[in-house]
Amino acid sequence: MRANYQVNATTQFRVLSDDQIEEIFHSALNVLERVGTRVYGEEGLALLRDAGCLVSDDASASSADALVRIPSWLVKEALSTAPERIVVAGRDRRQRVILEKDKIYFGTGSDCPALIDPYTGEVRKYTYEDVYNAARISDALPHIDFHMSLGLTSGVPVHTYDRHQFLAMLQGTSKPLVITAVDKEGLADQYRMACEVLGGPEEFAKAPLFVVYIEPSSPLSNSIEAVEKILYAAETGIPAIYTPCTMCGATAPVTLAGGMVQCLAECLVGVVLAQLKRRGAAVIIGGVQSAIDMATSILSYGAPEMVLLSAAMTDVAKWLRLPMFSTAGCSDAKVLDQQAAIEAAMSVTIAALSGANLIHDVGYLESGLLGSFDMLVMSNEVIGMAKHILGGITVTPETLAVDVIEQVGPGGHYLTQEHTRQHFRMELWFPTLMDRQQRRGWEASGGKTMAERVRAKVKDILEHHQPLPISAEVEASLKELVAHADERHRSKAGER
Amino acid sequence: MANERLFEEMTKAVIAGLPDKARELANEALHAGIDPLAAIEQGFKPGMDVVGEGFARGELFIPDLMMSSKAMQEAIAVLEPEMMKRKQHLQTLGKVVIGTVQGDIHEIGKTLVATMLAANGFEVHDLGVDVSPQQFVNAVREVNADVVGLSALLTTTMLNQEAVILTLKEAGLRDQLKVIIGGVPASPEWAKEIGADAYAENATEAVEVVKGLVQA
Repeated sequence: MRANYQVNATTQFRVLSDDQIEEIFHSALNVLERVGTRVYGEEGLALLRDAGCLVSDDASASSADALVRIPSWLVKEALSTAPERIVVAGRDRRQRVILEKDKIYFGTGSDCPALIDPYTGEVRKYTYEDVYNAARISDALPHIDFHMSLGLTSGVPVHTYDRHQFLAMLQGTSKPLVITAVDKEGLADQYRMACEVLGGPEEFAKAPLFVVYIEPSSPLSNSIEAVEKILYAAETGIPAIYTPCTMCGATAPVTLAGGMVQCLAECLVGVVLAQLKRRGAAVIIGGVQSAIDMATSILSYGAPEMVLLSAAMTDVAKWLRLPMFSTAGCSDAKVLDQQAAIEAAMSVTIAALSGANLIHDVGYLESGLLGSFDMLVMSNEVIGMAKHILGGITVTPETLAVDVIEQVGPGGHYLTQEHTRQHFRMELWFPTLMDRQQRRGWEASGGKTMAERVRAKVKDILEHHQPLPISAEVEASLKELVAHADERHRSKAGER
Repeated sequence: MANERLFEEMTKAVIAGLPDKARELANEALHAGIDPLAAIEQGFKPGMDVVGEGFARGELFIPDLMMSSKAMQEAIAVLEPEMMKRKQHLQTLGKVVIGTVQGDIHEIGKTLVATMLAANGFEVHDLGVDVSPQQFVNAVREVNADVVGLSALLTTTMLNQEAVILTLKEAGLRDQLKVIIGGVPASPEWAKEIGADAYAENATEAVEVVKGLVQA
């Protein structure tokens, strides 16, 4: 027997202490209670007012918006009913993400206007076909667990683009999805489409097919679309990500702690709204938190501040017992170059270590303007490496291998040991894109750079990967739902 | 000689980005009976030039620029009534009406552009966020604008950049001014498609582009 023996089954990593987390949380409560948040739309305002918030209407405001001060007790109450775990399953119901404390999943980001054409190298707008292809790439990659559109579908009606985009995503992958929606109506249409795919609302209720991404506007504002979407999601049982993109130094304090306070306050507004609409509604917090680049004014997707903030907010989310939406695998580089690789490796590793649940934006280049197939495929390899590090080191009599060391003795070797054969596949990581050949071998195989190997794999997936098909019947009714949405909007525009 | 020392301090206050100090120096100039226009041209403005050069060289950053420009604007606000009295006009490069279009409440990009334009000698009227096409038209009429700047962050709201241009046309104002668009989803192609005159990728570029527009 042995006493007081502890095991680290994984590597250990955290940024903030419990005391620091509590201070950030209390500061966020302070902000919500004293500074307040701007809320657009009557339904949300009515809910907040009735629940005991201080709602100061602007006399000048033509639209229905007001400053809302949320008492701390109401936030705490909302936190007590917000679920700490969510299960989301793709149209292949075996493809699941189980959002529980410290369970990590990686996925793409959504709605980039541009891509680099893998065949011509041209930078151009995403088409429907490209969005479908992005989904197929996620579908083929073992370390991509959920999919966001990556690209913004052009060439379809702007006010209903989200339905078209969702259809392309559904066709391309059977993995769990995170969607965006133009407005409440767009969300409702996509919910109908999801129910059609799954065979009814009951199946969606058992394990939602998608999570909806909703974005409040920093600092401390909630657009009417954001509010209506979170209320509809709560009512319908659609898990909602309610997270801002804070730019420390521009739309949030430059000090990272202050940035976190504001970001958390903004997320908590979503938690409160959702719980007021329906207790038990699932909300995911976090977001893209980074700093403005003080020379160019862009929101940096490769900054160490983003990496640090994401990990620190994960500490907060875990402490609050809420699922976390984090950011990694993205870069400010314009093409898949050394910068892209450095930024992807750094963010993926730290996000994995942090234990965030939905780690998104894998594949983003150009600070979120370019959804890159290359970056997605390269990051898949990085994620594989990071996961291997996460696994830590197993320490047992078998792995300590003292008997084997004794058998081999000084001066021998381990290659012919049964112990080696038994363990090497599990203990060692096997690259799929990293090149470990010696120079002559590498030259003989074409002397390809990482970027060239990545591009070849992109093409291979595009040319060969077949996602699980959707039945012709279901696909027809999905297309009909999309056409209906287009028609509704056309007639509405006609009325105006 | 005393004037020159005051001008020097004004320049320094702008370079250091000290709005309170700039206001104080502007008041001092008024009390001393110094020509307000001279205070701006020889006192405050040279500070802005220094800061602009520092930014271009990569030695100064956006917060430096924003604070200096705030100092400059506060000083002008103090000096303006006296200038009116003397029937003096600040030489401006042109009048710009700027705002984030209807349905969009994203502020920061538009504010950066507005500040940079003001710092570079434009008279800027910032209408804020969620600005309707009619509000743009009203402002254009009121100030007799040379340039209208339209910002949008969302692909859905960028359509309202076109709506403003159409409303300007209906009001018969489109031909007498230039329209520049900006925002993450916007592009030179989009500018062309909706009949805007120009697009700029960021605030620094916007200054150059708008300068070009008013000279054309």
